[in-house]
Amino acid sequence: MKCVRCLHDTARLLTKAPDGSGAWEMYACSRCNFTWRNTEEDEVIKPELRDKKFQFTQEPEDLQILVPIAPLKKK
Amino acid sequence: MFRDLREFLAKLEENGQLVRIKDSIYPEPTIREICRAAVDVPNGPAVIMNNIKGMKGMQIAMNVHGSWANIALMMGLDKDTPVKDQFFNFLEAWDRYPGEIKNIDSDKAPCHEVIVKDNINLFEHIPLFRINKWDAACFFSKSCIVSKDPYDKDNFDTQNVGTYRLQIIGKDQICIQALAFHDIARHVTHAEEQNEPLPVAIALGNDPVLTFMASTPINYDQSEYKYAAAINGIPMEITKALNSDLDVPANAEFVIEGEILPRVRVPEGPFGEFPGSYSGMRLQSVIQVKSISYRKNPIFENLFMGRPWTEIDYLMGLNTSAPLYNQLKESMPEVHAVNAMYQHGLTTIISTKNRFGGYAKSVAFRLSSTPHGISYCKNIILVDEDVDPFNLEQVMWSLSCRVRAEKDVLVIQNTPGMPLDPTSYPAGMGNKFIIDATEPTDPDGLLRDTRLIESPDSKDFEKVIADLQKAAQKA
Repeated sequence: MKCVRCLHDTARLLTKAPDGSGAWEMYACSRCNFTWRNTEEDEVIKPELRDKKFQFTQEPEDLQILVPIAPLKKK
Repeated sequence: MFRDLREFLAKLEENGQLVRIKDSIYPEPTIREICRAAVDVPNGPAVIMNNIKGMKGMQIAMNVHGSWANIALMMGLDKDTPVKDQFFNFLEAWDRYPGEIKNIDSDKAPCHEVIVKDNINLFEHIPLFRINKWDAACFFSKSCIVSKDPYDKDNFDTQNVGTYRLQIIGKDQICIQALAFHDIARHVTHAEEQNEPLPVAIALGNDPVLTFMASTPINYDQSEYKYAAAINGIPMEITKALNSDLDVPANAEFVIEGEILPRVRVPEGPFGEFPGSYSGMRLQSVIQVKSISYRKNPIFENLFMGRPWTEIDYLMGLNTSAPLYNQLKESMPEVHAVNAMYQHGLTTIISTKNRFGGYAKSVAFRLSSTPHGISYCKNIILVDEDVDPFNLEQVMWSLSCRVRAEKDVLVIQNTPGMPLDPTSYPAGMGNKFIIDATEPTDPDGLLRDTRLIESPDSKDFEKVIADLQKAAQKA
């Protein structure tokens, strides 16, 4: 299914309400790691209503790395 | 004083500082609405919610440190204790380091009452929710994360217990934000250069002092557990983790164990952060969860961070101020008190004796050269030693009646900055803004001959008036 943030077809069902009540479902995107619950506000979970500033339009690999991966030490 | 979160919640309840929301609520947006309200009321109470849709039988505790009353109770003080008195009380407790450690057998530790190792799904055990509207996912914002330096595994003191934000990205995967200057970043680097996973344990719902210490900037080789014991005044009870040699808080509500995958980075954020704005998205490390353990009827404690002030400001207020005070005091004994409560010290007020002309400005330069002050402390206000830096009315009086703009206001450009500060540009660069609101001393030009109104000796009557007022309120 489509991720509401990065709009790629990389989202899936993550989990359902743990008490078995069917109160909600949660989804997760494997590309941008956004997750959402189907009972949240429309402006959070409907792509057309989401604030464009919080949409993810970059390529994941272009994001900054805050703790650089150190070179491998020779054993 | 408090062996665990439960004992502290009982203390808060006893003092009218804990309330329960029993109405049926959806996790979003209601939890954040409740938390905003709880921190906004005077002396805001902790809140327990236990009727969340889809999460029957689960409970959430919020705003546990969310007022000066709650912080005072954590320190064993009367809930009405003024902040300046809380600061000096905290300094005294700080000097009792190191406190005692008590090892509890793993099978007797409350945090191991229920153990889950197979088919792990965090959402089945913990009532997770989105804290702020534009956060990328559900976050743990108030956990104690334990890790060891892979090159120094037997050293108890360099074992780190820190609070870093954690984004839940799957049933058994969590993304961790480490910044380059965080202690855990050093552990990650040492593991990654050997291509080894780094064991970590995430303790949720801890005694209030451990949580407090996990967000305190102490030295790399000082133990948060020993500090927590010193300040709490009772031994810190720890036990061995189930999957590694880590020491975890024995009385935590939940302990999630896992490993940071070596040389992996994935998208993380945004997240509503302590300056009251959202951080950007970055590539961060991933924790693969190996087990969850918890107490029977566990309480999930988390932290709401909104536009200041919210709980984080109370939680980090005194524990940012105390180390800065100690570092300044070492070389400048004239320093009387430090209030670094504003967004982790982005604005800091120091009361100091202005020993000779211009001396107070040198105190600001010293602050700017402490490890924390280098990047965080950008707006620095100096006031005289008889001005309470925690009393903003007094600070504003000093600004109003002591500052000569042409002599006492300095801007030093292009200094280090704090990357999460939205004014830091490029992220990591900043300026120092210094206001010297102390009385000029010789050989600096003195003020016009000014006679201050002396304060009468009112100490004895403060209690009399306060007690009369309490009685009047009860009547």
